[in-house]
Amino acid sequence: MIMEPNDPTRTGPAISDLPPSAVLSRNEIEALCTKAARGASLSWGQAEEAGFAAGWLHAHGIDGSAALLAHLHRRAGMAWADVCPAVGIGRWQARGRGPICSIALGAALSDHCGLPEGALNEGLSVGPVSQPILVLPFLSRMAEVLGHAVLLCFDGGEICVDSHGTSGDTGRLTRLAEASFGLSLGTHPDGSGCPPVYDCAHATLTALGDLAMRTTVPPSERSRADAGAGTADND
Amino acid sequence: MSAGKSHVADGLHLRPRPPETVMRLARMGSAHPTRLSFLRVLLRRMEREGWRFDRPIWEINDCGVGRATYRAIGPERIYSLVAFAHDLPEEMRSDRVIATAWDATFALFDGTPTKADLDRLEANVPLQEAGRIRPSELSLSRANRSVRLWEHVVDKLSMGCQPDPEEIAAVGYLMRTTAVYGSGKFGAADRRDIAARPELAAPFQIEMLSVWLTRQFSVDMVEHLASVKGGAGAVRLAPEIKRGLGVGNATGLGMAPFLVRHPMLLNNWISAREEALARVRRIDGATREAAACLRAAHAEACRNAANWRSEHPIQIAKLADLRADLAKIATRLERFPGDDPRPWDALWVWGEETLSLEGQEQLFALLIEPHGNLVDELAACMSADEAVAFRLDGAMRLRRLREVLGERYAWALAVDFTRPENTARFWYVSEEKLEPRLGERATETGAEREQPLCIARLASELDAALAERDETETVAAFLLRHPEHRYMVRRVQIAAGHPYAEVHDNLIAADMLPIDLMRCKLAFFGASHFDPRSDKWVRISLFQGAPYPLEMDGRTQA
Repeated sequence: MIMEPNDPTRTGPAISDLPPSAVLSRNEIEALCTKAARGASLSWGQAEEAGFAAGWLHAHGIDGSAALLAHLHRRAGMAWADVCPAVGIGRWQARGRGPICSIALGAALSDHCGLPEGALNEGLSVGPVSQPILVLPFLSRMAEVLGHAVLLCFDGGEICVDSHGTSGDTGRLTRLAEASFGLSLGTHPDGSGCPPVYDCAHATLTALGDLAMRTTVPPSERSRADAGAGTADND
Repeated sequence: MSAGKSHVADGLHLRPRPPETVMRLARMGSAHPTRLSFLRVLLRRMEREGWRFDRPIWEINDCGVGRATYRAIGPERIYSLVAFAHDLPEEMRSDRVIATAWDATFALFDGTPTKADLDRLEANVPLQEAGRIRPSELSLSRANRSVRLWEHVVDKLSMGCQPDPEEIAAVGYLMRTTAVYGSGKFGAADRRDIAARPELAAPFQIEMLSVWLTRQFSVDMVEHLASVKGGAGAVRLAPEIKRGLGVGNATGLGMAPFLVRHPMLLNNWISAREEALARVRRIDGATREAAACLRAAHAEACRNAANWRSEHPIQIAKLADLRADLAKIATRLERFPGDDPRPWDALWVWGEETLSLEGQEQLFALLIEPHGNLVDELAACMSADEAVAFRLDGAMRLRRLREVLGERYAWALAVDFTRPENTARFWYVSEEKLEPRLGERATETGAEREQPLCIARLASELDAALAERDETETVAAFLLRHPEHRYMVRRVQIAAGHPYAEVHDNLIAADMLPIDLMRCKLAFFGASHFDPRSDKWVRISLFQGAPYPLEMDGRTQA
């Protein structure tokens, strides 16, 4: 549900009248988060990865849209060179003033799967990373390719991820705005997993919606006419 | 015919047509519905499996206001169309997406709704975009009456007469849907959660089912209102008139980008169609039954072309081509199958040499019509799991990436983007309705918020960036330097294994016609009577000539 600043279909109720959250479909979360990431000036390809990550987290019981929003706010105004990872064998670190963008990191990890820089056999140390919980969906994608679970160890816990889900201290990692961590091959998660959570706080949705609206263009008379206005509909 | 014969000699013609031929907008914009169209896939399955249909709730008052449900009962599951009929003042009736009220609103419910479900839906479905539905709902839609035909039909039936066939032909439907939302929109079930069900595996089956049940509702409504008005003197619609009514649909630019946004899906639709044609062309001889079916399909196409109305100059010219081509096909069919060892192929080769694009694509539909046993199974290949293509192959070297770009995007790399006419437009999303629109770059603002539908230009920019890099570098390393090319690199990697993934035309060119994209998609739906109202929006008809659910109840056809 995107709260539109110029929605002609209704007069918007005051915020205080709204329920505290809304249930979205995974598709809606992905679409909204993709647009919001693009509105926050990620490239279209990176924005698609952000939408995928947020949707995956919700499907695995983690509030990915809130994590993405926090990350996009933190990243605002930073150049790619400041947030992209410097990739090396055994160690990935921030190339600029950092921390590493978790979407850029996740996409790069996924891209380097099967290449020497992405090898996990000897362990890979990474960081510092902004909103590190957003990396889990990409680790799941890597696990699928590797046919092996991936273990993420951070100061305060560890999380095991495979192509089906996660187990471990996801709650603790979710609360971290920034962390460094180690990646290695792990054992498969215990299978209990978390049920999906598609409940999103209105405040999060509103803020993501505001970012998403930056991808849109205000109407002109001409665009309205092209969309079919001004012609009779009653045949 | 000599060119055709030389083709025959090298055997190349028996392969599917190449993307360079098929993926041009002018040809896509001449597409006709075929037996692989999604509404026909739906109807075939329901006939084959003996689905049953009923209308357990009809709470519509004498003013035509209230609610009704229609159930489609399959071997494993039940789907219910929940319909709300409203009293819409004349001045509020608009097909525009920014309308706020409609004559009727609908949700397709997964199962049989309880009274509590109906009450919840009644509080939300009439609001459409401003309401919320749940994963127990599979689609959300609305429809408006054709005021002219609706009143005429109700009046006539109430007086004990049938409506005027000319009036019926002029409009062709009692109601037209203005949007059918599925796939997780407004809280509905996600496609990925239901795609494994056999009856929903083919594309757009939910939407087609919803529209088909809506057609039944539109007829039930006019008969109900005629009965209220005329009492015992009223009659029901004659079966042959009823059969000729479809459901209208008004479609604007919102639909046009779909084919561009779903390259794997587009590939799978087109490759199924092209494989069907290749299979038919490879058939030796023609049975008497198949030849008779071809002639019957031609006669039906002629009837359809005769009833197809449009006032748009582009479509008027295309209709003239189509009618002239159907006459040529009629002459050609007089000597079909003849003594050619592969008569279907000979007919196709003749058509390619003789007919306009309209005629060729019509001939395509005619050619595969008699061969359900050979081609219907291809419908199972028309879905796509787009998640599998999401992970890029980062280990690919730039040399290979550039090779694929050169092979699959030669059409794009040939465009000179320094010429203004080749970047004349830009696709954007309107702030007002979050709908795709097309702007003029030279005179309108907003191009800095352009959507990535300018595939040819993105391909050209990627090629230029690749030319600057060492060709032994990996895609993974390249994208660390150039995150702005990630979107296009993914498309190129998809296109490597999916030859029909891209439309081979510049979608921001000054002379590009968005209605060509729409017609291609709508033909895959099974839409007929494509009637552009401008170069950016169209009316069509769905299910015209098809049976009705309540008359198909439990009937299994051979």
